[in-house]
Amino acid sequence: MPTRFLTLVLGAAAALLTASLPAAAHHAFGAEFDASRPVLLKGRIVKVEWVNPHTWIHVEIVKPDGSKEVWMVEGGSPNSLLRRGATKNSFPVGTEVVVDGYQARDHSELRANARNVTFTDGRKLFLGSTGTGAPPEDSFPADKAVTPSK
Amino acid sequence: MRNRLVVLAGVLALAALLALTLIPAAAQTAKAASKAYNPPRLPDGHPDLQGTYDLATITPMERAAGTPLVLTKEQALKLETQRAALREREDQPIDANRSAPPKGGDGSPGPYGNVGGYNYGWLDPGSTFTVVNGEKRASLVIDPADGRVPPRTAAGKKRMAEFAERPTSDAQESNDPGLEKAPGAYDDPERRPLGERCILGFGSTSGPPALPDYFYNNLHQIVQTPDSVMILTEMVHDARTVRMNAQHLPKTYRLWLGDSVGHWEGDTLVVDTTNFSDKTRFYGSTENLHVIERFTRVDDKTLLYRFTIDDPSTWTKPWTGEYAWPATDKHIYEYACHEANYALTDILKGARLRDQEQSAKSTK
Repeated sequence: MPTRFLTLVLGAAAALLTASLPAAAHHAFGAEFDASRPVLLKGRIVKVEWVNPHTWIHVEIVKPDGSKEVWMVEGGSPNSLLRRGATKNSFPVGTEVVVDGYQARDHSELRANARNVTFTDGRKLFLGSTGTGAPPEDSFPADKAVTPSK
Repeated sequence: MRNRLVVLAGVLALAALLALTLIPAAAQTAKAASKAYNPPRLPDGHPDLQGTYDLATITPMERAAGTPLVLTKEQALKLETQRAALREREDQPIDANRSAPPKGGDGSPGPYGNVGGYNYGWLDPGSTFTVVNGEKRASLVIDPADGRVPPRTAAGKKRMAEFAERPTSDAQESNDPGLEKAPGAYDDPERRPLGERCILGFGSTSGPPALPDYFYNNLHQIVQTPDSVMILTEMVHDARTVRMNAQHLPKTYRLWLGDSVGHWEGDTLVVDTTNFSDKTRFYGSTENLHVIERFTRVDDKTLLYRFTIDDPSTWTKPWTGEYAWPATDKHIYEYACHEANYALTDILKGARLRDQEQSAKSTK
């Protein structure tokens, strides 16, 4: 596809998107987290707050000097995941995870947004629903997302 | 996140382009469909509207200028398939040995404020266009006929411009300017959006008018008696009680969800809402907002929901939208929004720390 046409297409699309898509999020990520403080956290889940308006997963990491820190990372509302059968027990204490995100602006808080939460093999902890035809409640795909990585 | 948004934008772009080339589908009249159906009734003789409904849809409020209201089945299927494919791609594993995101931000726009949001897997938006009279609809807005919200009045425009310069508690989160651009917006909890403060669901989920949420948690429940109808919205656990055959409260009473009174017109429940708080602000409206909703059961599994918006201090004329509320057997879960709203305190603390840093710099 000619570049100029592609640009035109994307430009037109962007204009339409702006006009018609009521994008909404619960809160101001940009004011909560600090773009100058990217983090990559590899560690074990020690606690899951499966609550609204946002889930917080507590991850214990071991620093290079051997000391430990517990970080809290922010995810979405748990309600839709509950409807897919995922509960806080689906991600048991001890599960090893990799999280990338940005630290809270208050650097005294060990908090970050969870841009991505994966197992140590890169599989995502939270898989999307397929909307209509989504798996019924209590049928969260255990083979795909619930099993902690070894 | 950036990649994700680019992919999303690409899919929607395609959707928008397709929308420009649609051919009108065979029209069916709304009346023909609803009149043929005789709904189950309560002992008082009125249709039984009770149940839980899933309002999720990908049909937006407005559609692209010059495009028809009705999508052909083929076009709709194609766009819905693309949406499903996007979702599937988002579920794929990513690099386990990835590094931290880039310093200075990942470039994600709007409410993601350059730091990204969270995994797409948390989201549960609609996957299909809303179906009314067997037609796949490209917009909620049906009047004006071009599917666009009418122009704002001069006062309405001025008000919106003021919001952009100095966001208030009723600002749309999607227009959040970010701490660097509008530091004053984060100083005071009273100036944070109602959704962020757990007062109402964001995006008018509770309404009125009750709109689909394009993120997640789209369930609503109706409980009906001869004297009152309750509409429970999962997001932020908003419950609205419609008083049947009653007069509106005196104008001095102002409510977050407005004051709703109802009556039956044939088999349609008509709900009239006024007395909004001046902080509710649907799409930048004022406390003069007047919403008329019409609930009609059109088959065993579907309500047709129609809403008319009138606020002469905001829009040049009234406007109307409609979409289907499909019944669901999914469960509504509690949404105790204050329980872990650490985000709000983090946002306010962030603004204070920034002030301290700046004042320390200026005194050096």
